[in-house]
Amino acid sequence: MAIRDDLITQITTNLSSYTNFKVSSELPFDSGGNSLYLKNKRTVYVDDLSEEQIQLYRTIDQGTVYQTQTIVEAFLTVDAKNQPTDIEDVIQAILNAKSVVTDTQSNEAIVASDIEDDYVTYTFEYTILKT
Amino acid sequence: MALINVTDGAQAKLTLGNTAPDSDGLITNGLVVPFVQDITVNATPGTVRYSTLDSTSSSAFTTVNENSISLNLLVDEQIMFGNAALTTNSVALNGLFDTSVSKEEIFFSVAITGTGTTGDINITGKGFIGGLAPTASIEGAVFLSPCELIVNGELTKNVES
Repeated sequence: MAIRDDLITQITTNLSSYTNFKVSSELPFDSGGNSLYLKNKRTVYVDDLSEEQIQLYRTIDQGTVYQTQTIVEAFLTVDAKNQPTDIEDVIQAILNAKSVVTDTQSNEAIVASDIEDDYVTYTFEYTILKT
Repeated sequence: MALINVTDGAQAKLTLGNTAPDSDGLITNGLVVPFVQDITVNATPGTVRYSTLDSTSSSAFTTVNENSISLNLLVDEQIMFGNAALTTNSVALNGLFDTSVSKEEIFFSVAITGTGTTGDINITGKGFIGGLAPTASIEGAVFLSPCELIVNGELTKNVES
């Protein structure tokens, strides 16, 4: 959970100057089958992490070095027709939060957008590799 | 016939020491090198080729054997740079790096089928540590290094009794 907590803290810090946006640490973030980020626009919701252990090295004496890949998703929904003027900066600020996790091999973050009805949902995916 | 399976961790073990192996090929206070990814025993007779006017193919005769042990390993700090507590074995005390730098002749044993059981086969010899080239990258996460034991003399097959 530490990586998720660190990301929430960093996203909160990075968005501190964007007063129209908030960050929620709530889990789970759905109500009655509907995701809360669809209801609470301009609020970033960070999902629980998923982890995968990948074998990096295997030695003859049965020594093993594992690489842990941690993936955390975050969601943000805003009005599609009247998008906030600073949405590009907000997206960058959320992506930049990836660097908060240290002692890693790689910290990557991507964002994808999905327009439905009159709103757009940004899905952020952080991928952290640690050994 | 039986293949030598190395997947249970007991085979293909390299042991180093500064005292000669006993008649079973075992080295007293030997340092078992951990984290070996692969190991190769090179037992190669030297050859010279020559041609004769009465043959369309070349002939050959053997010269001296040129033997070596080559391996790749993940670098363990104490194995590479020494452990001050292991005073009974200079290789363990000084580590692979300093032993290579000092060109100290060492003894080795490669357990082929394991150790400690009657009939276990190992190959022993003496020589010098060379070929160390510790390499690190962020993708690799840990130090890796090749290593070569340049054999001084002959390799000997031993069977534990």
